[in-house]
Amino acid sequence: MANPDLGQRDLQAAATSHRGDRIFNRVVTGAAFTALLVLAGIAVFLGIQVIPAFQSQGLSFLTSTGWDINTDPPTAGIFGMLYGSLLIAGIGLVIGTPVALLLSIFLVFIAPPRVSRILTNFIDLMAAIPSVILGLWAFYILNSQAQVWQELLNQYLGWIPIFQNDSGNFQGTPFIAGFVLAIMMIPIVTSVTREVLGRTPPELINASEALGCSMWTMLRYVALPYGRGGIVGGIMLGLGRALGETVAVFFVLKIVFDTNWYHVIESGGGSVATLIVSRFGEVSGAFELNLLLAAGFFLFLGTLIVNVIANLIVTRTGRLQK
Amino acid sequence: MSTSEFEEIIVLEEQLIEAEATAPRPVELAAQDVSVWFGKRKVLEGVSIDFPKNTVTALIGPSGCGKSTFIRTLNRLHELIPGAALAGQVVYEGQDIYSKDVDPVHIRLKIGMVFQKPNPFPSMTIRGNVLSGLKLSGMKRSGHDEIVEETLTKAGLWKEVKDRLNHAAGDLSGGQQQRLVIARALAVNPHVLLMDEPCSALDPASTLKIEETIRDLSSSVTIVIVTHNMQQAVRVADNTAFFLASENEPGHVVEQGVTTDIFGNPQDQRTLDYVNGRFG
Amino acid sequence: MTTHTEVFDESRLVELREQLPIRPWRSKPRRFTWSVIIASLAPAVFVGLLYVFADIPGALLLVAVYLPVQIFASGLAAYVTRGTRGIADSVIIVNAIGATVFTGIILASLLGSLIIRGWAALSAHFIFQNNVYINPSTPLEYGGIGHAILGTFLIVLISAVIAVPIGIATAVYITEVRGRAVPYVRFFVQAMSGVPSVVAGLFILTTLVVTGALSQSALAGGLAYAILMLPTVARTAEEVLKLVPEELRTGALALGSTRSRTVFRVVLPAAKTGIITAIILGIARVIGETAPLLLAAGNADQTVVNPTGSPISSIPTYIFNNVALPYPDAVTRAWGAALVLIVLVAVLFTLARVIGARKPGR
Repeated sequence: MANPDLGQRDLQAAATSHRGDRIFNRVVTGAAFTALLVLAGIAVFLGIQVIPAFQSQGLSFLTSTGWDINTDPPTAGIFGMLYGSLLIAGIGLVIGTPVALLLSIFLVFIAPPRVSRILTNFIDLMAAIPSVILGLWAFYILNSQAQVWQELLNQYLGWIPIFQNDSGNFQGTPFIAGFVLAIMMIPIVTSVTREVLGRTPPELINASEALGCSMWTMLRYVALPYGRGGIVGGIMLGLGRALGETVAVFFVLKIVFDTNWYHVIESGGGSVATLIVSRFGEVSGAFELNLLLAAGFFLFLGTLIVNVIANLIVTRTGRLQK
Repeated sequence: MSTSEFEEIIVLEEQLIEAEATAPRPVELAAQDVSVWFGKRKVLEGVSIDFPKNTVTALIGPSGCGKSTFIRTLNRLHELIPGAALAGQVVYEGQDIYSKDVDPVHIRLKIGMVFQKPNPFPSMTIRGNVLSGLKLSGMKRSGHDEIVEETLTKAGLWKEVKDRLNHAAGDLSGGQQQRLVIARALAVNPHVLLMDEPCSALDPASTLKIEETIRDLSSSVTIVIVTHNMQQAVRVADNTAFFLASENEPGHVVEQGVTTDIFGNPQDQRTLDYVNGRFG
Repeated sequence: MTTHTEVFDESRLVELREQLPIRPWRSKPRRFTWSVIIASLAPAVFVGLLYVFADIPGALLLVAVYLPVQIFASGLAAYVTRGTRGIADSVIIVNAIGATVFTGIILASLLGSLIIRGWAALSAHFIFQNNVYINPSTPLEYGGIGHAILGTFLIVLISAVIAVPIGIATAVYITEVRGRAVPYVRFFVQAMSGVPSVVAGLFILTTLVVTGALSQSALAGGLAYAILMLPTVARTAEEVLKLVPEELRTGALALGSTRSRTVFRVVLPAAKTGIITAIILGIARVIGETAPLLLAAGNADQTVVNPTGSPISSIPTYIFNNVALPYPDAVTRAWGAALVLIVLVAVLFTLARVIGARKPGR
């Protein structure tokens, strides 16, 4: 740091020359790297589980579908699960994002401050509802409602391929799972977008009002472009959470290994996280457990990537706005 | 004893007092060619000032001329700012305080500091604040009650708070908090007390009290005070140094000397303009 | 003759006293009021009539009929009062209110069903008894979730003992030590907060349980919880430590304090309430997590106090095991346990709000 050419003296080395402080520094620094240690631990210990899975199944572990552990040779492919996780998270995004965005517009720009404060508390509470309770509610309350919705969707919009249903069975569909994920994502996304929209500089809002902008033009040309990065980041944080969600999906999605490509209101779909929990109870031996751990590794990898991108976007926009 | 002898003694005594007042006192703390950087930006250049023992030295100058930065180099608080760098020496008791084998904690114990904004520790009582220096520095001094009374008296706060020593420090007014902070600094027996605009956040009555406190303390402590208030410098300081920074240039000392000279008979035109309020 | 001084004419007082305040900026043209009333009432009346006389399900009616009609009516009203510029605004406002109502209905349904269905299970023995000798068809007069409540407390306690000091130390590294690795540490903590709970469970399972180092137990479950709790504690603690004024730190250092004493005696005490909030939020984050405990803590019917030896039940796993059983009483127990869990979460949450709302350093 110090530049001896200018006659500068090294201050940083001396700043922690006290002995007690050196120990303190070391302990705190060590603790600060726990996060890295845990992440690395997860990557390594779940990562080595991929080796036997690949030795047995090759790359088809990721690209094929099926789960016949007790045949000889056993076959296992989690493509349907990986794709299913993306599909239900995608449905969650499609339903949840507009709601979350409109909700935060209401909280920031429309509702009186007091109403906004109260609603914000409720939405934060909603974010804290445990997923097992969400699953319980979805299983008994949402499910019967969703049957009616899906039948209507099929009846009126059935000519659109994604709303086809030939079996007449509307139980355990990706749509219901996605709807539950949307409910989970709404408070998460809202809390980020609300913050981002709330940080729109009042000068800009005032300026647009002085120019005679309506609320729509203000949103369209000031608030939304200004908060775009943060909003995208918030949506991706919600997506990361949805990809890893296990228990809430467990009760409303019928796990089938065949890939359900786009029949969102047809019974059966996939989810890596739910697969792990649902198979774990009746796991048939070390090999199947190994397969589940390997699946867990890819779940970890996927959510890690989504989260890292989300956080980079959120922090970068945060910095730009300062 | 005849009257003439008596008069002679009086004259001699007066001469002695005068001599004592004007005689150069031993230098306690001295900055020698101190230059300061924040990252690549040089903010101070070649500052050399001697601080004689038990005197008050005022650092004056317009905002942004590096006075506050300079005063923080005198007890090694400067180095806490990331990217801070320094050249030159600060000599205390014949030793460079920035040399490798000097513990900054030890330096800060001997060279205390009072900040612009009163900063009593909110989680502690008034008494706890006065004694906090002892606890934080791990210093052992017996007779805590005496220390509390003595330092609060020195800081001119004892009468106001003696009945509520166990109240939270945050309950005090701004002026009282500042005097509490001075008492806190005195409790560790510093030899030098640095004051960075101690009155700028206070009302005139509190300012007056703090100035009295400074005058009283100067018999036993060497004081360096940064101030924006030129009357204050005239009222409290024995010596004054005038800092100035021209645009995009590092700050430096334009003129320093006995306060009455700086204000009554400045040698530099810029000093004359500044002390007469023509800029700054 | 005119003078420069003027004396207030007392007789004007009577006249002045009768002055009424007016707010010209508030008064809206009559047409405006009527448009708003018609635009708000007409769609509701129309849809209400449809609901009564035509056999269309409520949800479809709301989404497919009411919303478009309301948007149209509001747009029309906006056009009448404000011209074309008003239409887009009215669409936004109607949709925003619609989204808020949608979310509100879901939250109300969630909380309402929990209270209504869970209430039936609640009783003193439900809170204190355990699940031994209870099978899914046992009537509600017997058995309870005492063992699960105790299990949850034990597991959360273990995770807090592990995660809280590390989380606070991480925050201290970021705000106090300010080492060169701060951006990286922040990055890893953020990445860690995205680890799915099931993965945390798998990690403990594969490193400790499968290897035989630890059986399924409160300790294993607590370790899995700690992975989830650590980032929440670290990030919240970082936020509150940042609120501690810099003057306190320099003030302490200027008194000859070391870095460590400054942290322990000045910074952390000044941020005490915020730190407590961070701990509570960390607990609230994990207390309802199910998947890690299914993998790492297992399940038990009896009351377990030994943190290492044997599998242990918890409220979330209790709910999980009872949800899909074909016995009404077992399902009611699940709702009851869910009500207890949500009350715990709400209490923690309110506690964090109340404590967090206090000024730091008071």
